[in-house]
Amino acid sequence: MRITKLRRLATAGALSLVAVGGAVALSATPAFAASSQVSVVHGIPGQPVDVYVNGKRTLENFQPGDVAGPLSLAEGDYDIALTKPGEEIDQAILKVDNAAVPGGANISLVAHLSAQGDPKITPFVNDTSKLDPGQARLIVRHTAAAPAVDVRAGGKPVFEDLTNPNEAKADLAAGTVSADVVLAGTDTVVLGPTDLNLKEGTATIVYAIGSAENDTLDVVAQTIDGLHSSPGGVPSGSGGRADAGLAAGWYAVAAMGLLFLAAGTRRLAVR
Amino acid sequence: MSIASQGAPRWRALLPLLAGIGLLTAVSVAACRSQPAEPFGSPAVTVVASSEPPAATAPVRVRKGSVPTGEAETPPARLRIGALDLDAAVAPVGIDAKTGDFAVPPSVDRVGWYRFGPGFAATAGSIVIAGHVDSADQGEGAFFRLGRLARDDKITLSDPSGATREFRVVARERYAKSSIPLDRYFARDGSVRLTLITCGGPFDARTRHYRDNVVVTAEPVPAG
Repeated sequence: MRITKLRRLATAGALSLVAVGGAVALSATPAFAASSQVSVVHGIPGQPVDVYVNGKRTLENFQPGDVAGPLSLAEGDYDIALTKPGEEIDQAILKVDNAAVPGGANISLVAHLSAQGDPKITPFVNDTSKLDPGQARLIVRHTAAAPAVDVRAGGKPVFEDLTNPNEAKADLAAGTVSADVVLAGTDTVVLGPTDLNLKEGTATIVYAIGSAENDTLDVVAQTIDGLHSSPGGVPSGSGGRADAGLAAGWYAVAAMGLLFLAAGTRRLAVR
Repeated sequence: MSIASQGAPRWRALLPLLAGIGLLTAVSVAACRSQPAEPFGSPAVTVVASSEPPAATAPVRVRKGSVPTGEAETPPARLRIGALDLDAAVAPVGIDAKTGDFAVPPSVDRVGWYRFGPGFAATAGSIVIAGHVDSADQGEGAFFRLGRLARDDKITLSDPSGATREFRVVARERYAKSSIPLDRYFARDGSVRLTLITCGGPFDARTRHYRDNVVVTAEPVPAG
């Protein structure tokens, strides 16, 4: 019964994947980069799957809450299918054909529930731009069967009115923040609080997954490192004592030496 | 009589000449010795080809999508350099929020470890420690003589539990601050190395800044 619903949704999923892929292809991607880094996130509670890419089983018994990859996929169109573990591809429970993978991007393919609770696949393009030194990036994605939410850090809303399947992000000082998720505009906590260690130079992507109705809300996290940049400089001296030049005293000695020379020469010349 | 009277003044004239030559020689020697030592070596960094696309047949890495907890790097606690008679406390430091620069500890007898980069137990990348060469109000700093380190000089790093790690100097370089390749020294990949940074070169008394950075690179000495 659920499976038929999944099949019915496959077409819609394919369309949305192609749409997002097209948008990415239009945005500025380096011309030389022909392949993309693709991670797969499993955000559908209770259903382990096998993942097929272009008809080839790429992930076996992929568990809810797990993150796989990144796979390096050349720019192009891909057929992606999810089956129950061990089942043949023609019995796929979720299928996306001709999903466009643009070149030079970092993408997360997320299998998750829509706001209404239907399984789907949503591609997200990950912001892998360099961070300022000392900073970390926090990206929160609403991929749960739940209404709009606010994300709070230290009790204060940082992302408001986030809906499925959207994301919010911010670059913050690296460190630990205590975060929770509340129903938008309320103090009703639906997730957390959880301590998030935001490591410098990395993007931490937190997915809200599961279903509020079925009481299966949870979080899945993915991190992308290597986004750090170097400090602006290393200022480490203000005294001037280490200047390689001669100390002032030596100039006096040199002057005295010249005087002696001049005096001696003059005496000789007078004779 | 006349010969003797002629000889004495001549001898007296030679004295200031010799004194003058002596003093100028001393100045020349001092000038030569004060020249900054020539750089040597270049950090032998074998950069690990990072994020190499996995072969088509390689199994895809799968992780639990658990929320990252703080598996912090082990901070180095002390830095010892026998050749410089240096034994300094190491403080974990980050970025000066106002300037975006390395937050070198204000106290000149401490040195600062860049806590966002590789730590004491690093298996890859550059462990960076920076210290003052001097300061206007505190005098000579821990790294005052860093520029005199020679090839193969030993450096010992220890962690808070007292475990030690030995390094040997492979390079000493000097760069204008405007052109120093910081990305190389703050790299988090490639072979493990210890990078010590301070200031050097000509000092601008008006801005109270040195023009250059002195960088010493050391490689781990294989244990045993």
